[in-house]
Amino acid sequence: MYATCRQWREPLHLLARCRHLHAINSTLDTRNASINAVVHPARISPSVREPASLLYDFSVAVKDNICTSSMPTTCSSAILKDFMSPFDATVVKLLQNNGADIIGKTNCDEFGMGSENKYSVYGPVVHPHQPPNSDVPWENRERRSAGGSSGGSAAAVAAGLCRAALATDTGGSTRLPAAYCGVAGFKPSYGIISRWGVVSYADSLDCVGIVTEDVDDAGKLFGVLSAHDPKDPSAARPETRAQASAHCQYHLQQISGADDFSGLRIGIPQEYFPEEMDRSMHAPLRRILDNLMSRGATVLPVSLPSTPYALSAYYVISSAEASSNMARYDGIRYGSYAPPPLGSDKMKTANVYAHTRSQGFGPEVQKRILLGTYALSADAFDNYFLQAQRVRRLIKADFDRVFAVPNVLSSGETPEDGVHVLLHPSAIRTAPPLDEGQNADLGAYVQDVLTVPASLAGLPALSVPAGLGEDGWPVGISVVGQWGCDEMVLNVGRMVEHARSL
Amino acid sequence: MLAHFTHAKPYVLKNKFRLSRLHTLRTKEDSRWPGWDVVIGIEVHAQIKSRTKLFSSTLTSDPHDPPNTHVSPFDAAFPGTLPHLNPKCVELGIRTAIALNSQVQRRSAFDRKHYFYADLPSGYQITQQYAPFAKGGSLKLSKEDVSVRVKQIQLEQDTGKSTFHPRQQFTAIDLNRAGTGLMEIVSEPDMRSPEEAGDYVRTLQSMLRCVGSSDGNMEQGSLRCDVNVSVNQRGSGFGTRCEIKNLNSVRFMMIAITSEIRRQINLLQSGLPVMQETLGFDEARAETYPLRSKEDAPDYRYMPDPNIPPLLLDEVYIADIRQRMPELPAATRTRLQSLGLTSRDIDVLMDVDSGREVGFDGELRPGAVAYFDSVTNDRDPKVVVNWITHELLGQLAFRKETFSDNPMTTEQMGELIDMVQEKKITGTSGKEILRHILTTRTAKPPSELAKELNMLAVSDDNVLERWCSAAISALPQEAEKVHKGNANAVNRLVGYVMKASKGTANAQAVKTALLEMLR
Repeated sequence: MYATCRQWREPLHLLARCRHLHAINSTLDTRNASINAVVHPARISPSVREPASLLYDFSVAVKDNICTSSMPTTCSSAILKDFMSPFDATVVKLLQNNGADIIGKTNCDEFGMGSENKYSVYGPVVHPHQPPNSDVPWENRERRSAGGSSGGSAAAVAAGLCRAALATDTGGSTRLPAAYCGVAGFKPSYGIISRWGVVSYADSLDCVGIVTEDVDDAGKLFGVLSAHDPKDPSAARPETRAQASAHCQYHLQQISGADDFSGLRIGIPQEYFPEEMDRSMHAPLRRILDNLMSRGATVLPVSLPSTPYALSAYYVISSAEASSNMARYDGIRYGSYAPPPLGSDKMKTANVYAHTRSQGFGPEVQKRILLGTYALSADAFDNYFLQAQRVRRLIKADFDRVFAVPNVLSSGETPEDGVHVLLHPSAIRTAPPLDEGQNADLGAYVQDVLTVPASLAGLPALSVPAGLGEDGWPVGISVVGQWGCDEMVLNVGRMVEHARSL
Repeated sequence: MLAHFTHAKPYVLKNKFRLSRLHTLRTKEDSRWPGWDVVIGIEVHAQIKSRTKLFSSTLTSDPHDPPNTHVSPFDAAFPGTLPHLNPKCVELGIRTAIALNSQVQRRSAFDRKHYFYADLPSGYQITQQYAPFAKGGSLKLSKEDVSVRVKQIQLEQDTGKSTFHPRQQFTAIDLNRAGTGLMEIVSEPDMRSPEEAGDYVRTLQSMLRCVGSSDGNMEQGSLRCDVNVSVNQRGSGFGTRCEIKNLNSVRFMMIAITSEIRRQINLLQSGLPVMQETLGFDEARAETYPLRSKEDAPDYRYMPDPNIPPLLLDEVYIADIRQRMPELPAATRTRLQSLGLTSRDIDVLMDVDSGREVGFDGELRPGAVAYFDSVTNDRDPKVVVNWITHELLGQLAFRKETFSDNPMTTEQMGELIDMVQEKKITGTSGKEILRHILTTRTAKPPSELAKELNMLAVSDDNVLERWCSAAISALPQEAEKVHKGNANAVNRLVGYVMKASKGTANAQAVKTALLEMLR
């Protein structure tokens, strides 16, 4: 691989650090130009930060659908061209208050809708990776997708433009690009990290995600960002968090530490190996499972029978919520406004809005608005939206039936032979080529098939790099735990990292 | 809101027998439309009198505030903002529900109602379509023995205001009102005449004001009505209803209903069907006009709001609010009647109260009834109410002041009444002291003021006799008439004494003394 900016991790004297930054900035600019990961670099040089603060040596990029008052927040959409938010998201404030250096905003699929980061007004993110056996210059490497929707965040970390990046994850938007880019991508339990200032795509699914090079860093950021925020109405209450944490700690004690993983029970969901999956994804997973087992972990097959319906339910629910959330972009109070053509009847609100919305929203967002609008219409509501909600409850129940840790949000029984976590490939393939034809469209949706169930159930899920696949491109493995078991998921993630390096 | 009481729904049919019986019992032939029955249901949107908006901490506004000065990023639907339910709005909603005998739901939820309009910044209104926070209930009308059932009460957001400027061809948008809390109170179709509809809204207004949940001001737009009207020939089933939107005074509402009844009857009489429509009301022409037909009804694409967790209300919380509820108008009336007050006196006291300013967040300001209660304590209620309604309110009115301007404390009033009752001062002096307090806004007790103003009643017989003798000498002809048995003539002599004593003499004692002297 290429040089990462490991040296950033060493706390440098501020002055030295600034000089250092200046020196590396130009190389970073060149690198970014080829990747298209950072779309709004921070203009302000790092403020004087407290060296003792928790995130002092963290340079962090922030996905462009998270509000920042000092940089534009455009969600990669023409409709929010040059939009400056009047406030900072809670997560951005937490980063700043804890000494992190925010380096810029990252490219993404428009409003988070996409799996390949090609639906962006800034153009696609180009994967920074180059397979080891390649002999062309890096700039001329094979053009592959970095995944989406947080492609910019994953690529920025993978390319060493920053030590960590904030992403969002509605149906896999953090985990999928992290898997493609060979970095760690963590979607915490729903309701743990504040969504105040995170631009809504589908509120009941949206989570702030964390992208880092390794799981340790993800844990450090998670520790800072998981503070309860009264401004987020869907935030889990402190009592609920404490209850979940107690269950999690109790089970964590059963899993022995450092080199001995005996006590750890891993479930392999049999439905997570669909026929669309590239067979080359199996080997890295098998290698890691072998290593974990050699350290004493127990691996068990489990079944999550509602999984085949998850993708459809996800697209109905997320599109319905998206159609609702996108309604505010009308060009009246902020964002871009396209005047209706001369002579059109401006007495009808719809006529005035239609031009702005047709010009401002890209094709994928328009597609989902239409789908969601239909799903919510009086004729379709019962058969689509309500049906999808039912499937969502079934998916949750599936998970509760396999985990040893009880779900504090529901009141079901836990199985006697339950597992601590689930392990499965994060994606059905390695990063897809960027310039594949139009008919790859349905395939793009299938990429989410392994990530949406955890989103629908609100569970913590972490994609950990598992080495390179047969084609020389990164492969990720996902660790999924019970709601509120974020610590456990991160712990097992570290074990997977450990097992990988054996 | 779309009407919830389409007459064709099985839910209504189930109640139809009871309804029509109630109906037949109640309906007298209306000479305006003999042979026809009228059915009216009303949706009232009452703005909640909370200090901050329903889902943001922005201060609520007044119609006089400059445009767009009460707007936060959430109110303007900026990306990244999230709602935060204001518990005060919930509390005021519960007070209203309790006052209307409505069943507060242990669990309710919020939904999004979608439509595109410039004064609706997020493109949806947060409301309670699927699970309103209160169901059922009733409101007893004031005039006749009629009770109107309440179907449900829901919490929802108000919109902003858009004003079209025809000359410049643009619409100005003011978001001050956007996101203010509303209570939508939906009645069953239980009213049978424009007058009953008017009575319902007025009774509801004073109820809302009494519990402090809304100032219910139709002219200022803090209470708005959508009215559903249908007519049918006596004995046949309910007719097709039409909804008249956005009526903003009780008077216009009654005119609109009357005009709509006539329109529907005319249609039916000429053999034409009434089409289910949404109507506007032209105040100048006193006519309804079509806004849209049933076919054009928008699909609001209701969706449970994914941000706002369900509203769970436990019994303890509701009981606590019930405990702190102000006395409701009907209970006040009954209680005052039992104290022996006349309906007229009760009306005067309660009218004062329903006209007072409603405080924010349910803060209850003591009104005329509370003043009466506090003064009465163990005094004679009838005496107290006379002093309040005739003297105090009379003087305030004379001074063009309202009850809220009243500087006289209940302690002052109580002592004043006691002094008159105990004949320490005369009634005339009492009224004089009351006027003195209103004018000077003094906090001194009436006993002290009586001394300062030389108004302590004179009951010394020698002094009285001296004044009476002086009166007899001054008015010899009147004295002669009294002497000859014309008792009425004594009044001028009494008047003379009262004037001479500057009101400190007890008129009754003077009269007795004069009659004695002239016998």
